[in-house]
Amino acid sequence: MQLITEFADLDRKNLSPADINVGDAVTPMDIALTHTLVASTAIASMDFMPVHHDKDYAQAQFAPDAFLNILSTNGYISRFVTDWAGPEAWVKKINVKLGVPAVPHQTLKFTGEVLSKTENGDECDIEVSVAAANDSGNHATGTAVITLPL
Amino acid sequence: MPDPINIELFEKDQDALDKFLQSWIGEKMNTGGTNHAPDPVNMPMIRHWVDAFQDRNPVYESEDYAKDTRFGGRIAPPAMMQTWTMPRPILHNIGERGGAAQDLDPDTPLGVLDRVGFVGILATNSELEFDRPLKEGDVLQSEIILKSVSARKSTGLGQGYFVTWTQDYIDQNGEEVGRQNFTVLKFNPSTIGQ
Repeated sequence: MQLITEFADLDRKNLSPADINVGDAVTPMDIALTHTLVASTAIASMDFMPVHHDKDYAQAQFAPDAFLNILSTNGYISRFVTDWAGPEAWVKKINVKLGVPAVPHQTLKFTGEVLSKTENGDECDIEVSVAAANDSGNHATGTAVITLPL
Repeated sequence: MPDPINIELFEKDQDALDKFLQSWIGEKMNTGGTNHAPDPVNMPMIRHWVDAFQDRNPVYESEDYAKDTRFGGRIAPPAMMQTWTMPRPILHNIGERGGAAQDLDPDTPLGVLDRVGFVGILATNSELEFDRPLKEGDVLQSEIILKSVSARKSTGLGQGYFVTWTQDYIDQNGEEVGRQNFTVLKFNPSTIGQ
């Protein structure tokens, strides 16, 4: 058996600022949340709060189930924008208003579009809207800013 | 300087509680003043993160790929900034501590709000800024400074206060690498409908 030591996608392409226009959609990303993903992302972010891995505890706190931690909401938003823009994209800002909890057995759907494009020295700042929604409504809505080299 | 704590007074005198909360604006809220990262930015934790998030961006993992990008080498996923200074958790009785990794300081505004009945907490807003990519070997520390406390509001969860703090992240050279403004609603579930 061959051990897999690297999962990185080495063929990934970069968007150039010239290819990006205000109003363009960010490539949608669907995450079919499971207990494994909710717990794994919480622990990978060093957040051991029981509401993020212990369903009994979460329900005793009146949550529907164990739910995604906010660090992971931001981690997925970072992945959402860099999966779209490419490895040269640097995430500068992620601002979100938090809504319904993101829970297992529901797909968290990430969507967004380009709001503005601003040249800034040898970089281009690109602001996009971000919404992460599931069957219950919006989990997070806001904006992210990435930069790409000009 | 923060006002002295007087729980009995704060329970019956909203003005005294409000004045106490406002006296903390600009003060450091974390126990001991600073969170020191238990470990430098490191590849094993990055690998754990990219696997959990299935984030296949090659700049996080492949030095061969990343050396030819504008980053000049592998970088940590930006949203991991918060992860680096998360305290090592004390798992025993973590549920009884409301999920906190360590004992909560009962004398900070959040601790005092707990003691006067505002025991509920709900995160409402997060604003993250990343100034520069972090690389293996960077050592972070962070400080949590109280930014604002709203007037007492009636919400769907009961009466409460919106509490906003800034967590500043500082590297081994004393330079800021990013920050997070974070707002929570601290609410009193027994006042629902009031």
